[in-house]
Amino acid sequence: MSESFKKEKRILEESAAKLLEFAKKAGADSAEVAASYGQSTKISMEKQEYHMASSDSGFQFGVRVMRGNKQGFASCNTTDPAELKEVALRAVEIGGFSPDNPSYGIFAAPNVPSNAPKTTLNESLMGLSLQTQKEFIKLLYKESTQDKRMKVNEGSVDNSSHLFLVTNSFGTHQLEMDCAFSWSLMGMAKEEDVLTSFDYFSEFTRDKNLIGEKIISSTQKFKNELVRSLKQGHGQSYKGLVLFTPRAVLDILISTVAYHFSGRNLAEKTSRWNLNDLNQKVLNEALTIQDLPWQIDRRGFATFDREGTPTRNLMAIENGVLKNFFFDHYSAKSTQQVSTGHAVGAPSALPSVSSHCLSVEKGKEALKDIVAKTKHQPGLLIVHRYSGQADPITGDFSGVAKGAEWWVDGSFAFSPKETLISGNVYQALGKDLKAISIETEVIDSGEEAPSFLIDEISVTAG
Amino acid sequence: MKDTQDILRKLVSSSPVFTEARFHKRRTHSVSVQKGLVKQTKASLTVGVGFRVLVDGAWGFSSTSDFSEYSLAKTLKSAIECATSLSQLKKSKLSSLPSTSLARGEFILDGYKELEGMSLKDKLGIVLQAEEATRKHSGTIQTASCGYNEIFEDKHIITSDGADALSLLARSEIKFSAVASHNGEMAEGYASSGKTGAWSCLFQEKSIESMTNQTAELAVDLLRAPKMPGGVSTLILSPAIVGLLSHEAIGHTVEADFVLSGSVAKDKIGQKVASPLVTLCDGGIVPHYANGGGDLLVDDEGVPTQTTLIIKDGLLNSYLHNRESAAIFGVAPTGNARAWLYSDEPLIRMRNTYVAPGNDTLENMISTTEDGYLVEGALGGQADSTGEFMFGAQKVTRIEKGKKKNLFRGATLSGQAFDVLSTVDAVSKEFHLDLGSGYCGKGQPAKVDAGGPYIRCKAKIGGVQE
Repeated sequence: MSESFKKEKRILEESAAKLLEFAKKAGADSAEVAASYGQSTKISMEKQEYHMASSDSGFQFGVRVMRGNKQGFASCNTTDPAELKEVALRAVEIGGFSPDNPSYGIFAAPNVPSNAPKTTLNESLMGLSLQTQKEFIKLLYKESTQDKRMKVNEGSVDNSSHLFLVTNSFGTHQLEMDCAFSWSLMGMAKEEDVLTSFDYFSEFTRDKNLIGEKIISSTQKFKNELVRSLKQGHGQSYKGLVLFTPRAVLDILISTVAYHFSGRNLAEKTSRWNLNDLNQKVLNEALTIQDLPWQIDRRGFATFDREGTPTRNLMAIENGVLKNFFFDHYSAKSTQQVSTGHAVGAPSALPSVSSHCLSVEKGKEALKDIVAKTKHQPGLLIVHRYSGQADPITGDFSGVAKGAEWWVDGSFAFSPKETLISGNVYQALGKDLKAISIETEVIDSGEEAPSFLIDEISVTAG
Repeated sequence: MKDTQDILRKLVSSSPVFTEARFHKRRTHSVSVQKGLVKQTKASLTVGVGFRVLVDGAWGFSSTSDFSEYSLAKTLKSAIECATSLSQLKKSKLSSLPSTSLARGEFILDGYKELEGMSLKDKLGIVLQAEEATRKHSGTIQTASCGYNEIFEDKHIITSDGADALSLLARSEIKFSAVASHNGEMAEGYASSGKTGAWSCLFQEKSIESMTNQTAELAVDLLRAPKMPGGVSTLILSPAIVGLLSHEAIGHTVEADFVLSGSVAKDKIGQKVASPLVTLCDGGIVPHYANGGGDLLVDDEGVPTQTTLIIKDGLLNSYLHNRESAAIFGVAPTGNARAWLYSDEPLIRMRNTYVAPGNDTLENMISTTEDGYLVEGALGGQADSTGEFMFGAQKVTRIEKGKKKNLFRGATLSGQAFDVLSTVDAVSKEFHLDLGSGYCGKGQPAKVDAGGPYIRCKAKIGGVQE
């Protein structure tokens, strides 16, 4: 670790300790501080041209206090002791006039298990010069623009180092250090008068040696998908089988059903399931969904949560059976459960509940065999991206399939324009789920899923 | 702040390259209540300075939250080093920004002091009462929530070519939600208001009681409503939906950075893109409407905002520009450069985007619609470089032979923006900005507003195929 980063780590820990002390002195019964320090250098391109190089660093502190059953919270981004004192006073003042809520609390957290993987401040990434980053943005530029049909609106490479600390008045002190290199592109393809819709990807790695090859492979995939959708046409309206690729599975279906894994929604009775549904079949028996926070090559990697509670791999749905909800301390206390390490959020926000990195287990059929099952239809819509909404309460979803594919007789025919899809998430993950592919894909270096073939989807052609 | 301003003026004036310094202090307060319980009450402070410099056509940016002279000077030096390094890769080199009229002085929007003077405790009390009123409106309401958020923005922009503008503004927003449930069916109703100005501005069009009633009644009504059939139909769009259409489907495609990337609006200035009944604007202040949620007097490059006529009587008239894109197009900047935090670079963003009011009335538009739908309540949406848009509507009412009939559950509207605007055959006098608590996302969030009159057009809605 560089001397300057050691200094920032010391400032982070000292400022967090001061904030805790100020909160206690101001009248808090207990207090928790979440704090972060980050530094990054970034080079961006815009409109087919290099645009900006930037260098940033900064702190964030959030202090949560309890006064009896009343909670207060305030945050800031400075290390000035006078400002930290003000922030602590503000949190305690808010705690003073907030109504009682017995489910709130601050608790001691156990240590992170010794077998948990650890991210490190990779010295080779930390020391990456602006000159080396320029070589990577040149590579991203070359790969994304050498095909003249590609139009890049935005792209960037970003090298960042990060410290995250959770400490509280019960002695909890969890610190994580991380260093990662990420890159992203947003653009479209254009050929004469034919224009595709925008597409976007963002990838990252913690391994310097993989940067070049991953930039090339991710950009190639991005380009191939965009160029393919230059062949456009009009599909047909129908109600029937639609293939959801991994991105669509995660964006439309899994993100909606994940609402019901949240202990907060369980506590508020807006989850469609309750504790009596544990170990009951709630979705199609072909479905297994886990939260896997200990995958070091993924974006959602975390060994402890926003409240300092250690994370662990956790099964949500196993063969269609509900196995676990995801809890932070608040939802756990509300429902007489224990935290599962799913408090999330930045230091400037109060903890909320979410998964870290969901993974949907692969199925048993190859994609080509799944597509073959649909030959009785006049065409098959394959959905990649989706612009629309899904109501987690009703499960109804409706939106536009972006960059979609229309297949006829087992082969790609064209990319259909302005195609609306609608259906119901819970039926789609229940009786209407007809096949899950063996092939899976990790989306944007985070969650992983296979493709799903789903029946009874309404397709309204443009 | 005075000391910091003096240091910034000194650093900017002595910088060897074009330099823009932006001091930004943001204070936010939020409360939210659900089912009688306070979910959060919080205060947040984010403060810092961002330096942006231009060296041989390359931009450099660096920011800090440390206001010592040493740290500020170091941050500016870092921005210059970044830009100098990148300039070696630049092919097109914009040596400097053309001179333009830049803001100097204090720019303070009404309501800042009033909103600041009302305690968070009092606001929490009102939110608690509003949530209770929503929840107790009907026995079928299972849960309700109410959230309030306010932002105080203090900015000082200083540029080496003459801007020196202090701006203060306060924005607030309140939103309501109710979930009704009966026999295993659930439906949700929403309402929200977002304004720039004092607390009272939030309720300048609808009282808090009216908003809680509307939220609860919508949830109850939607519970019994069937789903919509899909297809292309005649639609009367409410101001909120017109706002979404203006913002998502037109506004984004005319942001000059998207135009330069090849959006559907490229090379269309002067061409017919909409019905002659349509005039579409984006403004920092809306001339006939106070306290828009996106109100802004000076943008984050120090350019005074103005009302930009994007479409004038159906013809595409202007794109939305920052200083750089204006230089490329050879026009004056439109004051659309906005940054969310001190650590963000300014991007081309909208402010208040709207269709100008017409001469018709909603009543007349309904009575002259043979077969169609009244579409109300914006649920968010997105648009594409192609002008293809999608947005959700809360409430769709069937119109048959000039009469309002049954209600359908919310649906998705989609189409190609210019195609849809070309079908407009009626525009009402009634006018509202009505994006409520909406934000725009483009790498960074931006508080925007949008709206307009009721308009009648044809678009795809729905839907369920049999």
